[in-house]
Amino acid sequence: MMNTKRKGKHGQSYLSFLLLCLLMLFTSACSSGMKQYVRPGADFRAIKAVAVLPLENFSSDKYANGKLRSKIIIELLSRGIDVIEPGEVVTALRYLKVRSIDSIRTEDIRAMGKMLNVNAVIKGSVEAFGISKGITVSYPEVSIHLTLIETATGNTVWSVWHTTGGASFWTRHFGAEGRTLDNASADVVREAFDAIY
Amino acid sequence: MVLLKKSFFVLMIFMLFIISGCRGSMPVYHISEDIDFSFYKKMAVLPLDNLTSEKYAGEIVRQVVISELLASGLVDVALPGDVKSAFNNIGIKSVSALTSDQIRALGKALKAEALILGAVEEYGEVKTGNVSAPQVTISLMMADTGSGSIVWSITKTRGGAGFMARHFGARQETISETVLMLVREAIRTLAEY
Repeated sequence: MMNTKRKGKHGQSYLSFLLLCLLMLFTSACSSGMKQYVRPGADFRAIKAVAVLPLENFSSDKYANGKLRSKIIIELLSRGIDVIEPGEVVTALRYLKVRSIDSIRTEDIRAMGKMLNVNAVIKGSVEAFGISKGITVSYPEVSIHLTLIETATGNTVWSVWHTTGGASFWTRHFGAEGRTLDNASADVVREAFDAIY
Repeated sequence: MVLLKKSFFVLMIFMLFIISGCRGSMPVYHISEDIDFSFYKKMAVLPLDNLTSEKYAGEIVRQVVISELLASGLVDVALPGDVKSAFNNIGIKSVSALTSDQIRALGKALKAEALILGAVEEYGEVKTGNVSAPQVTISLMMADTGSGSIVWSITKTRGGAGFMARHFGARQETISETVLMLVREAIRTLAEY
């Protein structure tokens, strides 16, 4: 009789534990996955030198594009890709009379490839860069769109739109320290390039 | 008594599912029956009309549309700079009032079989009770540059705090994720066709 009661109690605590795990899974939820485009037959190992164009800035932080651009340059250099100095890129853009980065044409990209002797250029934009407020906590939000354009053909060979998620499970429920904005932006750049290099 | 407790527990779970429910997120879309989507190899995404108070909402959604179209593997997408240059050459000043002739001319200039145009109608935080959550509404259209007519159109909204987020502190979507999922779902209707 005693044995049956003990078994029953064990069963109840086991069930409670299972329910708790299920609830944790529900509340942690899943983030939207990173989906990218890679041109069929693209050989990224052949791309030895790139120029990173100034990024367009659609965020509320005036300097977000500059901050993200340096992170991209550092990330590429750390992966063994040669990156043209930003000053050289500005000079080339001036020479080609490109006044704003949103007006750069395919023929300008081809010309830049010859002028700077690069295999590809990175063009992109910052859609979000700042601290956003959730229901209970604030969290850093960084979203970028990057495209790698081959200078020989003017074709887009890689394109990705990536964003950091919201606050983590531990931050939301246990007040654990979240990522800083700087960490979040470094992560978003690193994760974007992880797919190709 | 035990049976009563068990029934109560099952009822509670059932209630949770009912309350959490599914929001009516069925997209309202139209697609011409006689189009052959394999014909479209290259598209150009035109600047979207921004009908919100968020300064860059149109451009933000445009970038996501470009990225998702490319990521879908369906088509190649023209560079925004080429689109701007074609606009200047043809003398188009406003995207919201494009004529069939201008659509055809843009198609020729950009060597694109279709143009994507549309508007961002809502972009920002919406307050429901004491909870704020991102909400975005877009409408997109695809114009065939051969005929100059609209062959696909969709209007879609996404956002608001879900049941789990409101009551159990589940992770809520950021505005960037809301835009991404919204555009992805819209493009899926095109990809599935």
